[in-house]
Amino acid sequence: MIPKVLISVLLLLLGYAFWTLSVGYAPDTELNRTAAYYAANAESEVGAPNIVTGIIVTWRGLDTLGEVTVLFLTSAIIALVLSQSGGPSGVSGADFLPSGELLTTGARMLVPLIVLFGAYVIMNGHLTPGGGFQGGAILASGVLMALLAEPTRRFGHTAILRIESLSGSFYVLIGLAGMAIAGGFLDNGILPLGQFGTMLSAGAIPLISVLIGLKVGAEFSSILQSLHETEDA
Amino acid sequence: MVSPVLIIAIGLGTAFALGLLGSSRKTLQFGATLTALAAMSAISVIWLVALVTGAAQTAEIHTAGAVPPFAINLRVGIAEAALLATVTLTGLFAALSLRAQLLKLGRGGMAVLLVLIMAISGLVMTRDLFNVFVFIELIAIATAGLVLLSEDPRAVCAGFKFLVVGQIIAILLLVGIIFTYHANGSLNIDDIAATPVGVQGAALAMFLLLIALVIELKTFPANGWALDIYTSAHPGFSAVFSAATGSAALFIVDKVVAPAGAEWLPLLTGIGVLSFVASNVVALRQDNDRRLLGYSSVGQLGLVLAVIGQRDVLGEAYLYVAGGLILSHAVAKAGLFWMSAMVRGRNLDDWAAIRARAPMVLAFATFIAMLVGLPPFPGFYAKWDLAQALVAAGRLPVLALILLGVLIEAAYLFRWFGFAIKREAPEKGLSANMVDCGITFAAVIAGWALGWIWGAIPGQHNVLATLPMLAVLAFFALEPLPAKIKNVAAIGALLGWFTLVFGDYDPMRLIFAVVMIPGGAVILLASFTETGRRIGFYPSAMAMYAGLALLLEATTFFEFFAAWEIMTIGSYFLILRGKMSEPHALSYMLFSLGGAFALLAGFALASGGIQPFALNQLGTVGAELAPWVFVLLSIGFMTKTAAMGLHIWLPGAHAEAETDVSPMVSGILLKAGLFGLFLMLMELGRQSLWGVDLTVVLAWIGAISAFLGAVLSIFQEDAKRLLAYSSISQMGYALFGIALMNHLGWLLAMMFVINHYVYKSMLFLAVGGVYKRTHTKLMYQMGGLITLMPFTFVSVLVGIIAMSGVPPLSGFGGRWIFYNAIMDAGLRLPLILIFMAGPVGFLYLFRLIHTIFLGQLKDPHRQLKEAPVWLLVPQMIFVAFLIGFAVLPGMALQKVDGYIGSIFGDQPLVWSGRAIASEFGYWNPVAIMVVIAVIFVSVFLILIAKNHDAQKVKQFNIVFSAERPYRPETTHFAWNFFAPYRKALGFLEAPVVTSFWGGVTDGLNGTAEFTRRFYNGNGQSYAAHVLLFVVAVYLIAMGGVA
Amino acid sequence: MSQIALTCGFILILAGLYGALTNRDILRMIVAFTVANTGVNIVLVAVGYLPGRTAPILDSAVPVAEAAQRIIDPVPQALVLTAIVIGLGITALMLAYAYRLFRLRHSLDISNFTELKW
Repeated sequence: MIPKVLISVLLLLLGYAFWTLSVGYAPDTELNRTAAYYAANAESEVGAPNIVTGIIVTWRGLDTLGEVTVLFLTSAIIALVLSQSGGPSGVSGADFLPSGELLTTGARMLVPLIVLFGAYVIMNGHLTPGGGFQGGAILASGVLMALLAEPTRRFGHTAILRIESLSGSFYVLIGLAGMAIAGGFLDNGILPLGQFGTMLSAGAIPLISVLIGLKVGAEFSSILQSLHETEDA
Repeated sequence: MVSPVLIIAIGLGTAFALGLLGSSRKTLQFGATLTALAAMSAISVIWLVALVTGAAQTAEIHTAGAVPPFAINLRVGIAEAALLATVTLTGLFAALSLRAQLLKLGRGGMAVLLVLIMAISGLVMTRDLFNVFVFIELIAIATAGLVLLSEDPRAVCAGFKFLVVGQIIAILLLVGIIFTYHANGSLNIDDIAATPVGVQGAALAMFLLLIALVIELKTFPANGWALDIYTSAHPGFSAVFSAATGSAALFIVDKVVAPAGAEWLPLLTGIGVLSFVASNVVALRQDNDRRLLGYSSVGQLGLVLAVIGQRDVLGEAYLYVAGGLILSHAVAKAGLFWMSAMVRGRNLDDWAAIRARAPMVLAFATFIAMLVGLPPFPGFYAKWDLAQALVAAGRLPVLALILLGVLIEAAYLFRWFGFAIKREAPEKGLSANMVDCGITFAAVIAGWALGWIWGAIPGQHNVLATLPMLAVLAFFALEPLPAKIKNVAAIGALLGWFTLVFGDYDPMRLIFAVVMIPGGAVILLASFTETGRRIGFYPSAMAMYAGLALLLEATTFFEFFAAWEIMTIGSYFLILRGKMSEPHALSYMLFSLGGAFALLAGFALASGGIQPFALNQLGTVGAELAPWVFVLLSIGFMTKTAAMGLHIWLPGAHAEAETDVSPMVSGILLKAGLFGLFLMLMELGRQSLWGVDLTVVLAWIGAISAFLGAVLSIFQEDAKRLLAYSSISQMGYALFGIALMNHLGWLLAMMFVINHYVYKSMLFLAVGGVYKRTHTKLMYQMGGLITLMPFTFVSVLVGIIAMSGVPPLSGFGGRWIFYNAIMDAGLRLPLILIFMAGPVGFLYLFRLIHTIFLGQLKDPHRQLKEAPVWLLVPQMIFVAFLIGFAVLPGMALQKVDGYIGSIFGDQPLVWSGRAIASEFGYWNPVAIMVVIAVIFVSVFLILIAKNHDAQKVKQFNIVFSAERPYRPETTHFAWNFFAPYRKALGFLEAPVVTSFWGGVTDGLNGTAEFTRRFYNGNGQSYAAHVLLFVVAVYLIAMGGVA
Repeated sequence: MSQIALTCGFILILAGLYGALTNRDILRMIVAFTVANTGVNIVLVAVGYLPGRTAPILDSAVPVAEAAQRIIDPVPQALVLTAIVIGLGITALMLAYAYRLFRLRHSLDISNFTELKW
C-alpha cells in the first residue's frame, strides 16, 4: 500500500499541472481552421446538417470504425473472460424467482417502443442530435430491460452474433467501396448526397449509421448477456 | 499496387466476418485468420520492397475523400513499411505460435489477435493525433484480451494491472490531445508541426501527450505492469507485445516529437538512457526467462528512445540507426519468446534443454548477438554510427551510459547462454515441434538477412560479404560432416587465405599473419585427435580466424572494429566449449566487450564523425584529442593482451578451454592486442597527458604484468593455469618492449610475437596431451611421466628452455635483444622489475617439467601411453622450428629489423653472416649452440658416470618435518612447491584486482536486488509509480523550460 | 464558463485518480476510474465551447452561410463521443476482469494479487 499522503502529494502536483492548463486557457473567439472548414463544407462535402455526425461518420470515419471495433473487442473479450472463468455450472438464472406479471407485461410493451425510438435516433443521426452509437445504445437498453424483466429468458446468441458480424463486415465493405468509387476509404460519397436536410441524404451516412447502430446494439446486447450469465441466483 | 488501407480493412473485415463462419468450424476460422494475416503481411512486404527499390514513392493515403488536416490520413514510407512488415509478420507467426489456444477458444481469440495486428498497423500509419489515441486504446484492450490466452492464472492479475495503468495513460493522452488541438486548431501531426504556436499551455499539453506515449514504452520505473505481462502471458503473445507493440509505440513517439519540437529531445534521451541502464541492471537478478526477456525489452525500448533523443545529431543516419536497433530487437526478442514457448522450465538454466539441438543453439546465439549489437547484425552497424554521431556532437556521457547498458545487457544474456550450454539439461525439457521451430528459424533467417541488408546499404562496409565471413557461413553448412573432414577444410581455408594475401603485407603485418593464419593451421593439426562431428567447433574457430584475418586486412576504423568483434565472438564460443569454462568464458566476453567499447569510443573520438576513416590517418588526430584516443585505444588493446588489472579473465579462460583451443586463444589470439598496440603507436607515437608520458605508463604496466604474472604463475597447482599466468607475464614483456618506443624494443616485441606463439602453443598442447592421458591438470597428482611420454617431455623441455630465455634457444635471442633495448631506453625502475621477472619465470617452468615428468610415477598412471599422435605432430613441428629459429634468427627478423628501422630511422643491429652485433656486444647463435652442446654433453656424461651413486626412493618415503597433513595432497612434495617463496612473496598474490572486479559485480547485483523490490506486484503501486514518474518528469521538464 | 467546466473536469479527474489509487477494493477502483473518465469528457467538451454560440447542427436556426459565426467547435464533440465509447468498453472489460479475479481468489482486494513481482 502506498500512503495516502504520498498519493495526495502526487495528485496535488498533477493538479498543479492541470491548474496551469486551466488558467492559461482562453476560449477561442473564432472557429479554428479545422472547425471552420467543417462548418463551411458540411453541406457540400458530406451533406449532413448535423456536423458532428458528419465528422464522426465521414471525416473522422476511421476513428469511428475503431470505436466500433473497441466495442467488438470488448464483447469478444468479455465472452472469453467469462467463458474461461469456470462460473456457476448449469443454466444460470434458472433459480430466479419468476418475474411478476406486471413487470413482464410492462417490459413487453416497452421494448418495441424502445427499439422504435432507437431506430428513429439512428435514422436521424445526420439531421438531429443522435446517430448510430446513441441509437445502438438505446436498442441495447431494450435488451437490458428484457433481460432484467425476464432473467430466465435466453436470447438467440447466434442471431446477435450474425447481426454483429454482418453489420461489421458491411461497414468495412462500404469503407472499401469509398476507396474504389469515391474519394477514399470511408468516403460517404458512394451514394448521392441528395437533398440537404432530408432523411435519405448525406450519401452513405444513414446507411453507415444503421450499420453502426446494429453493430453497437448487438455488441452491447452480447456484453450484457455475457455479464448476465455470470449472475448467481 | 494495393492500398495499404487494405491492411486495416482486411484485418477488421476478417475479424468481423469470423462470426459468420459458425462457432463450431474453428479450423476454418483459424485458416481464415492465417490467410488474413498472410495477406496483410504480403501487402506490407510488397510496399517495403517497392519503397526500398524505388519502385514506389512514399504513399499519402487520404480517407473520406478530404485532404488532411480535415480528414484522417495515413502515410506509408520506408520506415512505416518496414514496421508494418515487422508487425504483420510477427502477427502471422504469433497466430501460429498461439494456435493451440486460438483453436480452443475459437472466434473470440482470433478476432482479438486480428484486431490487435490491425490496430498496431494503423498506429504505424496514421498521421492523426486522436486516431493515435483510438489505436492505442484498441491495442490496450486487445492486449488485455490476449493476455488471457495464457494458461498461467496469474495472467489475469497482470491483465488487470495493465488495464489500470492503461486508464491513467488514456486520461493523460486525452487531456494532452485536446489542449494540443486547442492550441493548434488541428489534430494532424504534420499540420501541427508546420504551424508555429504561441498559445500558452501548448508546451504543457505537448508534455502530457508525450509523457503518455513514453509510458506506453514501459519506461523504467513506470513499468511493473508490463513486466508482469511478460512473465505470465503466453510467449507467442509476448513476442507481439515486445516486437510489434513496442516498435510501434516507439514510432509514435518519433512521430509526435516532430511537432513537439527539438527542445523535448534531451528529456527523451534522459528517460531512455535511464530506462536502458536501470532495466538491464535489474535484469541481472532475474531467474525467470520471460521476466528477464521483459526487462531486456524494456531496456531496448529505452535505448531506442534515447536514440530518438539524438535525432538532431544523427541527421541522415537517424533511420539507419534507430531502424537497425528496432528491427534487431523485434526479430531477436520475438525469436527468443518463441523459443521460450518450447522450453518447458521457466528457470534460466532450464534452457540447457536446447543444447541437444545444434540449430536451437545457433538460434539462441543469433538472437543474443542481435540484442547485444554484435557483427554482422544491424545493431552493430547502428551502434557504430551512433557512437560516431554522439562523439562528434560531444555527447560523451550519453555514449558512455549506453555502452555501460549494453555491457550489462551482454552480462546477463551471455550468462544465460552459458547456462544453456553448460548447465545440466533437464529431462524432456524441450517440447519442440515443427511449427514453433519453423517460426523461430524464420526469425533466425530474418536476423541474418537484416545483417546483410544493413551491411549492403551504400556507404557501409558489409561485414558478411568478406571472403573470411563467407567461409564461416560455409562452415555452418558443413556442420553435418565428420570433424576430420571439416578439419581438412579448415586447414585448407587458412592456408588458402594466406597464399591469397601474404604478398600484400609489409614485414610487420606478415609476421602477424604468419603467426595467425598458417600458425593457426599448425595448431589445427592437433584437432585431428577429435572424433565425431564436433558440432559448433569449426564455425566458432573459423569466426575467430576470420576476425584475425580481417584485422590484418583492415584499412579503416570500422573494418578494424568489426574484425575485432568477430574475433571476440568466435573465441568466446570456442572458450565456452571447455568443460568448466562457463564463468570464465563469460568474464572473457565481458572484458573483451568492455575493451571493444573502449576501442569504439577511441575510434569515434579520433575520427570526429568522419566516415570512413582510414587507420593510417590516426596520426592526423588533433593534439588535444590524441592523448585521450591513446588512452582509450590502449585500454582496449591491453584488455586483449591481459595487462595486469585487466587480466582476470585470462587464467580461467585459457586454462579451462579444450586441449586444442588453449593454444589458439593463448598462442594466437593474444597477438591481436599486440598488433593493435603496434598500429596505434606507429601512428600516434608518444603522447603525454598532464605531463605524463603515456608510453612510460604502458612500459610500467608491461613491467608489472611481466613480474606479477610470473609470481602468480609459480603458485599455481594446475598446469594449464600456470601456463595461462605465464602468458600474462610474457605479454607484459611484449608490452614493455613496444612501449620502449625504440627500434630494439619493437624488434623484441616482434620476437615475442613469434616465440610466444611457438612455445606457448607447444606447451599447451603438451600439457593437453598429458591431461588427455591422466585426466588431471593438477601437477602434484602426476610425476615420472618422462618414460611413458618421452615426446611430450622433449617438447616441454625445449619449450621451457626457449621460454626461460637461457641459451641456446630463441628465448635467449629475445633476452639478448631485450637487454640491448633496455640499455637504449632510459627506464631504469621498471627495468628492475623486468629483470626480476626472468628468474621468477624460471621457477615456474622448472616446476612444470620437474613435477610432471620427473620424480616418481603414480600408481594410476603406470599403464599410460604417449599422447595422441596428432597432438605430437604440431609439437614436433614447433620443436624443429625452435631449434632452427635459434640457429638462424635472421630468417624472419632481419626483414622486420629493416622495416622497423625505416620507422625509427636507425639501424642499431648489424647483421653479419650468422652473427648479430649491437653497440653493447654481439650474439652468434651458432657459436652459442655449439658451446651449449659441449657443456651439456660433458655434464651429461659426468652424470651417467656417477649414476651408480644414486639411491632409489620409495613412493611414500617423505619426511613431514612435524607438519600434519591436513589433506591428501599435502603429502606430495610438489604440492605448494614454492611454499618458502609464498611466505616471502605471498603478499603479491593478494587478489586485489579480482576483489576490485568482484566488488563491481557485487555492487551491480546489490543495486539490482534493491531496485527490483520497487516492483512489489501491487497494481495500485504500479499506478502510483506511473503518476510518480509523470510528476517527476514534469518537475524536471518544467524546471528545464524555466 | 469554460474555466468552470474545465476546473470541474480536472477536479473530477483528480478525485477519480485519488479514489482509484487509495481504494483497495477493485470495484471501487473501477468506479473511481469512471469518475475520472467523466472528468476527462467534461474537459474535452469544455475545450470546444465558444461563448455565445449554439450547437453545430445546420437547420433553420443556423443557415449554412452563417454557420462559421454561429456554431461551437464540433470537433471536440465528435472526439468525446469516441472517448465515451472507449471508456465504456474499458470499464466493461475491467468489470469482467474483476469477476474473473474474484473467481480466482474469492477476494476483490487488489493487494491480494501480487504474486507476480520483482
